[in-house]
Amino acid sequence: MNIERVAVIGAGVMGAGIAAQIANAGIAVDLLDIVPKDSDNRNSVAENAVARLLKAEPPALMHPKNAGLLTPGNIDDHLDRLQHADWVIEAVLEDPAIKRGLYRKLEAVCGPRTLISSNTSTLPLSVLAEGFPDSFKRRFMITHFFNPPRYMRLLELVVSPELDQSLLDGVRRFADVKLGKGCVLCNDSPGFIANRIGTFWIQTALLKAIELGLPVEQCDAAMAWFGIPKTGIFGLLDLVGLDLLPHILHSFKRTLPSHDALSPLCQVPPLLQGMIEQGLTGRKGAGGFYRLQAGEGGKVKQAIDLTTGVYRLGESYQLPAGAHHAHELRAFLDGGEVLNAYSWRVLSDTLVYSAGLIPEIAADIDAVDTAMRLGYNWRQGPFELLQQLGIDWFVDKLGRENRSIPALLASRHELYRVRDGLLQFKDCQNGYRPVVRPEGVLLLSDVKRQRPALAANASASLWDIGDGVVCLEFHSKMNTLDLDILNLIQQSITIVQRGYKGLAIYNEADNFSAGANLTLLVAAIEQQDWQAVTSIIRLGQQTYQALKYAPFPVVGAPTGLALGGGCEILLHCDAIVAHAELYVGLVEVGVGLVPGWGGCKELLRRWLGFPKRPGGPMPAIAQVFEIIGLAKVSKSAQQARELLFLAKTDSITMNKDRLLADAKCRAMALAQDYHPPEPAYYALPGESAWAALDMAVGNLHAAGKASAYDVEISRQLAAVLSGADSDMSRPLSEQDLLDLELQAFLYLVQQPATLARLEHMLKTGKPLRN
Amino acid sequence: MNNAIIAGYARSPFTPALKGALAGIRPDELVAQVVRALVRDSGVAADDIEDLILGCAFPEAEQGMNMARLVVHLAELPIAIAGTTVNRFCGSSMQAIHMAAGAIQMNAGHAFICAGVESMSRVPMGGFNLLPHPGLYQRYPQAYIGMGETAENLARKYQIPRTEQEAFALRSQQKAVAAQQRGLLFEEIIPIGHVARDGCPRPDTSLAAMADLQPAFLANGSVTAATSSPLTDGAAAVLVCSETYADAHGLPKLARIKAIAVSACLPEIMGIGPVAATHKALQRAGLQLSDIDIVELNEAFAAQVLAVLQELPIAEQRLNLDGGAIALGHPLGATGARITGKAASLLKRENRQFALATQCIGGGQGIATILEAV
Repeated sequence: MNIERVAVIGAGVMGAGIAAQIANAGIAVDLLDIVPKDSDNRNSVAENAVARLLKAEPPALMHPKNAGLLTPGNIDDHLDRLQHADWVIEAVLEDPAIKRGLYRKLEAVCGPRTLISSNTSTLPLSVLAEGFPDSFKRRFMITHFFNPPRYMRLLELVVSPELDQSLLDGVRRFADVKLGKGCVLCNDSPGFIANRIGTFWIQTALLKAIELGLPVEQCDAAMAWFGIPKTGIFGLLDLVGLDLLPHILHSFKRTLPSHDALSPLCQVPPLLQGMIEQGLTGRKGAGGFYRLQAGEGGKVKQAIDLTTGVYRLGESYQLPAGAHHAHELRAFLDGGEVLNAYSWRVLSDTLVYSAGLIPEIAADIDAVDTAMRLGYNWRQGPFELLQQLGIDWFVDKLGRENRSIPALLASRHELYRVRDGLLQFKDCQNGYRPVVRPEGVLLLSDVKRQRPALAANASASLWDIGDGVVCLEFHSKMNTLDLDILNLIQQSITIVQRGYKGLAIYNEADNFSAGANLTLLVAAIEQQDWQAVTSIIRLGQQTYQALKYAPFPVVGAPTGLALGGGCEILLHCDAIVAHAELYVGLVEVGVGLVPGWGGCKELLRRWLGFPKRPGGPMPAIAQVFEIIGLAKVSKSAQQARELLFLAKTDSITMNKDRLLADAKCRAMALAQDYHPPEPAYYALPGESAWAALDMAVGNLHAAGKASAYDVEISRQLAAVLSGADSDMSRPLSEQDLLDLELQAFLYLVQQPATLARLEHMLKTGKPLRN
Repeated sequence: MNNAIIAGYARSPFTPALKGALAGIRPDELVAQVVRALVRDSGVAADDIEDLILGCAFPEAEQGMNMARLVVHLAELPIAIAGTTVNRFCGSSMQAIHMAAGAIQMNAGHAFICAGVESMSRVPMGGFNLLPHPGLYQRYPQAYIGMGETAENLARKYQIPRTEQEAFALRSQQKAVAAQQRGLLFEEIIPIGHVARDGCPRPDTSLAAMADLQPAFLANGSVTAATSSPLTDGAAAVLVCSETYADAHGLPKLARIKAIAVSACLPEIMGIGPVAATHKALQRAGLQLSDIDIVELNEAFAAQVLAVLQELPIAEQRLNLDGGAIALGHPLGATGARITGKAASLLKRENRQFALATQCIGGGQGIATILEAV
């Protein structure tokens, strides 16, 4: 089945969000809802949903123009549009009667090969399809998206034996490749996989924290330390909305047998009920477990006291920094403080409960781990966490507490193992089966199990990923670029030249790179060692230039943040294969600097060569000045293309797991008959352009939109982009531009205001406006 | 001596730049439609037109080349009509009228189309390639001063509080909305496609709403978006003829051009430009300000108009009867033709003797035209 036309029925938060993500994939979507009783506009419900999508924060649409792919309508007048739909997704109220009534209408209007699926999160497939003929059942299933559909990668699939396999294959491939989802097959059990375990975990953590009267900050810090997830539990509830929880609990209470361990936990604590009644529903409401209040010197974070229900000043609670090694995790769970006991209770209860749900909710542990990683943003799934903690240690600890041992763990066999470089998981028959990746997925984590690195140091490694392509991986803190990385890039150029065809720059962290490592720079500035600063800049410039002019293709494959130096390395690649969630920008002005590793030079080259800009020298210069001067960061890869961080020939991959394979393919294609790029030349207007840019910034400063030091930085940036004292009649070389970048950089690092910005960033992670 | 008279006036609707209904139309096409309608409706024999003089403040890109000559073709006028594009920033199309009047008095033609256009949607203020002379910028930066700042300078110099500016802006809005509602603008507007109505006036505005706005140009300033003319798309055109030609061909005579003047002042208070230009023109016309019955004083900024009014006391009931640029919009190159054509038609409508149309001009200039009922 090839999916080219999709319809979503139900334009609530989930339905509209799903439709938006389909539009993000470039696919036209019909978005239908009921005809409202009190409006002349029969499409107003769906139209209002599209209007809300355009204002959603974080954005549901990767680009506002994607809204043009959404066609609002209503189910009374427009069901005929579904005649040619390949996939119809129902996302209406969680009421079996309403859903089944709709299916009867859909059955009548949809073509025979149209897949119909429900986005239900609580109703079983058996109930929804009961009494429908086989002709319906063979094309009906549950496709359960997670909120917000753009950002949450999990798609739970629930299927019946009657389902046409080709429809399942088609929707899996579409959801994976086009929507970027990780599909997990679930059994038709209450709450499927992620919400079943997730709700158990939330309720255990919530009720236990209230019982013990622990500060929410401590509970969140502990959960975040274990990576389940980064927000902790109370932060997560604030994010998704506290008012959602009673509905979920009510549904589980109704559908779970009383002997299920979640059943007695399905109670709304009075504290939570009270907060919801006061409108304290989280970030969307007047506050949640946390809130920001205006205080002296800016906003102050407050937190709810779980005992009194009253807000108090939030406290910063940090666990000792650790690399999350197993012995550190175990030591924490064995600790004697209340927080240690709390963490052990929440974790052990959740892990024991999860172990008891195999095979009720899913055929194997790998599906459960994937679901919790992609659906709840856990760093590891429950069984991966168990494996890390050590089965023996875990079972012994349970035994010492006289708790029953789940059957899955009774044999004490490891849950995951590596054989011949392949990852295997333990199945229910005490055997092992390989973890199988979908076709077209290549993970560096799998490659690493199979062979040693070609070269490595503390911040980066080089891996042979097959077919003559090498992968350069950053693994420094936040993937910041340091001297080790620059050195390994230089080494990689030699290694690839000796026996490979191309290079992909890729890593599997959340963020490609947060930019240059500022610690080094600050140390040099504090010692007023301008020679050291010059060396750092020159080394970066030379390294990136060497990469650009290497005799083999270099493909950047970024995801998440690619800032500053991380953006600059991408700008020097022959091609970029970007994950759709790419937040790329030259943000150096935030720390009082200008891009110094060729970022100005490369972005200006792209804008000068952009055929759709107005003629003359200034439009390109003005655009780059604005992008760098305002530290613009793309909100998606699609927007990065608009800012020309991505070229027209660069591609966007929706599924992060497919990024490396796509980058490798691109490198292999470019390697055929590869020639390095021709050097660029820049005809720039010099001081006239500088004056024009200075006027613009002067006006912003006068209007209070730029600080005095913003003006100072902008003047340096303007000098680089205008070509300083150059003239249109004397084109500059790339090296000339790099020299100007260095000159501006050296000027700025010697200003106390830049040092203040740098130190503030290192201390707080946020830019200082001085 | 040949008298120059205004024998016709027309304009497009004026709509907000970027978000308005005319943002999608090229400026040369926009003004061509206005010119074609003016020629058609005025009764002038197209073959008798000597020249199309077209004002534009940023004549580049779609407003580039010699747009006037291209507009001759776009408006499907006879090939023998010449075309010249002139630039005196906001005074461009009033300058076009002055050039025609001068030519008529020199016996260098009998009929002229004097038009103006600006698509501030499609060619930004400053143009696409602003490249100031670096030496001059260093030595005399005021030469390139931004317009908003000049309004702030006048507000300070003439001590015009924000509330007075807002009260003036509100009156301008009320007059424009009233004129719209009474159909007083209907005759002068040439519909462009389906667009037949001005898009800038804000009937719902109020002093309270204005008071909420942040200053637009200076952090601690008093000039806001509400007290500034909006960025606008629009075109206007005036038919200027010799009086003998109008008589011979039975053309309507809206007004006689009695005197013209340009002047210059410090760039940083460019908004005061109308004062000197008006004094010059009055002297050339042999009139006193008190003789003037109808005034079209362009409203670049409320502060600027209020400063001019301190130097040129003009009674409220004579000033901008159908509202000014704060409400109607200010498509730079088109405004001069609009206010001169408007002043001429108001002389007729209000049955008055003398009218003054005057404007300030970026860079520190003023321009003025005195009209007399025929």
